[in-house]
Amino acid sequence: MRTVLAFRTILPTFTYHRPSSLAELLELKAKLGKDAAILAGGTDLLVDMKMGVKRPPHVIDIKSIKELHVLEYKEGSGLIIGPTVTLRELETNSLLKEKYPVLWDAVRKIADVALRERATLAGNIANASPAADSAPALLVYDAKVELTSVNGSRLVPLREFFTGVKKTVMKENEVITKIMVPEPPAGAKGEYFKAVRSAEDLALVGIAALVANPNNPAERVVRLAYASVAPTPVYVKEVEELFKKDEPLNKLIKEAVNIMLSKVSPISDVRATREYRLHLVKYVTAYLLRKLLGVK
Amino acid sequence: MKAYKYVGKPIPRQDVSKVFGDAIYAYDVKLPGMLYAKLVGSTYAHARIKRIDYSKALKVPGVIKVFTGEDFPFKVGIYAADRDVLARGKVLYYGHPVAGVVAETPEAAEEAAELIEVEYEPLEPVLTIEDALRPDAPLIHEHMEEYRHASFIYPRPGTNIANYLKLRKGNVKKGFEEADVVVEGEYREPLISHAYMENWVGIARVLSDGTVEIWSSHQSPFAVRHLLAASLGLPIGKVVVHHTFIGGGFGGKAGLLLEHIPVLFSMKLGGRPVRLELNREENFLFMAQRAGYLFKMKTGATKDGKLIAHYGEYYLDAGAYADYTVNIGRSVGFVPTGPYEVPNIHVDSITVYTNKVPTTAFRGFGMQEMHFAFEQQIEQLAEKLGMDPLEFRLKNAIVPGKSYLPTQVRVREDAGDPAGTMKRAAELISWGKKPEKPGEPWKFRGIGIASFWKGPVQPPNAASSAIVKVNEDGSVDVLVGTGEMGQGTIYALAQIVAEELGIPVEKVRVAPIRSTDSVAYTWQTVGSRGLFSEGQALMRALDDLKNQMKEIAARVFNVFKDEIEIKDGKACVKGKPWECISLAEMALGYTLPNGNAIHGPLIGRGSHVPSQTTYLDPETGRGEPKPFMTFGTSAVEVEVDLLNMRVRVLKAVTVLDTPVINPGLALGQAYGGAVMGISIALNEELKLTKDGRLLNPNFTDYKVARAGDIPVEMVAEFLGVGQKNAPYGAKGVGELTMIAWPAAIANAIYNAIGVRIKKLPITPDNLLEAIKEQRPELLKELDKYLLGGE
Repeated sequence: MRTVLAFRTILPTFTYHRPSSLAELLELKAKLGKDAAILAGGTDLLVDMKMGVKRPPHVIDIKSIKELHVLEYKEGSGLIIGPTVTLRELETNSLLKEKYPVLWDAVRKIADVALRERATLAGNIANASPAADSAPALLVYDAKVELTSVNGSRLVPLREFFTGVKKTVMKENEVITKIMVPEPPAGAKGEYFKAVRSAEDLALVGIAALVANPNNPAERVVRLAYASVAPTPVYVKEVEELFKKDEPLNKLIKEAVNIMLSKVSPISDVRATREYRLHLVKYVTAYLLRKLLGVK
Repeated sequence: MKAYKYVGKPIPRQDVSKVFGDAIYAYDVKLPGMLYAKLVGSTYAHARIKRIDYSKALKVPGVIKVFTGEDFPFKVGIYAADRDVLARGKVLYYGHPVAGVVAETPEAAEEAAELIEVEYEPLEPVLTIEDALRPDAPLIHEHMEEYRHASFIYPRPGTNIANYLKLRKGNVKKGFEEADVVVEGEYREPLISHAYMENWVGIARVLSDGTVEIWSSHQSPFAVRHLLAASLGLPIGKVVVHHTFIGGGFGGKAGLLLEHIPVLFSMKLGGRPVRLELNREENFLFMAQRAGYLFKMKTGATKDGKLIAHYGEYYLDAGAYADYTVNIGRSVGFVPTGPYEVPNIHVDSITVYTNKVPTTAFRGFGMQEMHFAFEQQIEQLAEKLGMDPLEFRLKNAIVPGKSYLPTQVRVREDAGDPAGTMKRAAELISWGKKPEKPGEPWKFRGIGIASFWKGPVQPPNAASSAIVKVNEDGSVDVLVGTGEMGQGTIYALAQIVAEELGIPVEKVRVAPIRSTDSVAYTWQTVGSRGLFSEGQALMRALDDLKNQMKEIAARVFNVFKDEIEIKDGKACVKGKPWECISLAEMALGYTLPNGNAIHGPLIGRGSHVPSQTTYLDPETGRGEPKPFMTFGTSAVEVEVDLLNMRVRVLKAVTVLDTPVINPGLALGQAYGGAVMGISIALNEELKLTKDGRLLNPNFTDYKVARAGDIPVEMVAEFLGVGQKNAPYGAKGVGELTMIAWPAAIANAIYNAIGVRIKKLPITPDNLLEAIKEQRPELLKELDKYLLGGE
């Protein structure tokens, strides 16, 4: 353990790789494993490296791999977002705003424009911060992550992707090659609520809410997902099931809030107290549900 | 205010080099053969150093030397020499520099820094004011009795008290007996950071003749020179401090910062240039920040609404080294109340050491903090009296020429217009009118007001000077020691020159980049004193110059001197506008038709030192502490959102009594001051763990207001009530514009939701906690609206 504080101005030395094809990337990753970090936007990686949180001997810059820069939407099957697509590209995409308003809302609330010009959606997910703003939004759309290695690809639901603070199911030789966001339920609307200390902040608590067909219990879809309330982003399936019940919405909202309060485990840290985070979970959940379900 | 051609006009600043990127900052200075220094900090808040092992660091290629505290067995400091160059024997706070690496490249220095090993014997850290004052508290400075200190600082060896100031006025016991209502309160503010954009950097070298040169980011070049010379025992004439543009100071770059470190390293390395450049994390830990505060106040008023007595125990949490903070302890001690006449005052202001990051001057010099407390006392007294708080303020406001300062001296006749600022600010915020009710039932609006006063805290003999030189084309160079940190004082000085000589302001140059050996002396650029002090010196320099112009013209036209007038950059015989000599014609002296020349180059010189300020009595504080006070009132309308517990400032109004030289620059100060004050009120805090580690040495978690947090509407006005001896009546403005916001916001929150906030910052967490304590029923209502009640 270090016995002095030494803060770097200059990044520590590392070997820089810039593959131009996916095959080359996978070969490198197979060879270097956890010694190699992936650089796309670099807005988390470079900070971590400077602060000494990460010291990868190799950095693989994936920005010149053309096939990874994909942003496609197909009616019925949904959205495909490649790992080098920046948050700013998503924010300025009118289709995303129209079809995936919760994701769009979350993306535009991440940091500031300058950062969003660099940062990528895949990076926000791969970094696996409990405060990742895009995670709750992707969770309510039931997004899937395509992980690829020299041995092939696998599709992991985002709901199974995060395993702990900054931990995921990704293997050492795998990289994210796609984020797939299915077609949302017909008529779905929603928003991302982000509690902050100042304009442009990390989420003290982030809440993604998606609602479709509020007045028809059989068809009704209500999904909630949270950032910064537990070691991983939180999605609670029970809420979605609860709202299938043909009961007064007022009562269901109250029950949903109670379920959520039992599922979150916020901590007190430098950004906010546990008490404040619980206040937000309780009241903002109710506020969003009432608003989106049209309860007066 | 009389109409002038240049003074009072919002003339854009002439120097646009910042906009085009050609402004030179200390950071830009690179010298041939320059070495790079890197400091490493302690991982404990309080510990004995048992061993430092830097053998591995020395093996890194390019490393020249590793220094530790034992290499520099002496202390430095501004008012008390309490600071080690590098920690010796003990570390006093988390981040305390314990060693410095010097290498040929910054890469080598950084690599080597990580390899230094220190063995510590942990000691109990002292992390609160209360703990520091415990009779059995561990002593942070064990040999305080050996410290050199200024005569007006009263440290108490054998305790953790760095300074103890007493203020006594009238008879406070009798005062409280006469009081009909009394309010008691405890108010707290945490340690905060100046959060200036430019991290500190210093580049030093020692020339072969022994001259020490330094380029660094500092506010006050002559203070750096004096303190370097005094601390290191150097002849002051052999120390040259180069002043560049600086990227913000806010008091955090006021005195001697870390300049002595590259100087000492260079001295030990044969004079080679040494550069010490801090990154953001280092700047939070190695540079001094702002003290924390605890105010215990008891204030009484009579039922007819007159303030009658005030009792206070004020505590400043100075951290490991007290630097300017001991003097801020004095400042809040001798101006312990707002801009009101209080006949009986008893205040002890105590500055204590703790095992935290060192602290220093900060914009406002304690006045923001004192007013946060006192302006809430005022509101509570008014409430108890059933009086309108504005009316209560007006009833007690300082009356120039009649009222007495807390330091028992009568307020000068031309001191300003406190009551005028109160009335105007109230008008601008629509005082007495209920704010509009927001749509959602969990949002509340309120308005709040806070009045204030402040003058510079300086030694009674703090001096300034100015030199005015005329160039061959009739343009003018002005030499002053004023630092330029964005406030633009030097551009206002240029306007004064233009006005006095009647030349276009474009023909006046006040170089922002200069050196102590080539400009006129000024004590420091602090306390909103620059324009007032250097302005007076400059007026005298211009009088001197004009007198020389008149002498030349009188000789040339063969008239008496008093028949010459200065107009439009010329010296002319009165009533004979054809008999004139221009500045250009006499810049280097005037040459007669036959080739004879007279006078030689024109140089005006002027000096200023306050004539009425005094030392203060050590037992009572009696005396005249300040050459001027600027009076003002700020008011806000806020919206409190109980859903996310955030406070938003919708409208911010500030009114100062003084005239200003450049309303554009003054408005810039006013807007910047408002945003800074609001940020301090709502966001800012240096957060520590229970064992004293700083959790947020970065802008991710040290929250400063962003563009999106700026109030929807900001209004600033200057009433134009000047002080006679001030240049064109103008008193200081810079700090004044940020003083009252936390107080006004706290008062507005009370107006909105009936919750009194006595602790900064007013973050969502802290607001929630205060609501739970004071008005839990507000949360019950929220339950009702959103969850249909229980």
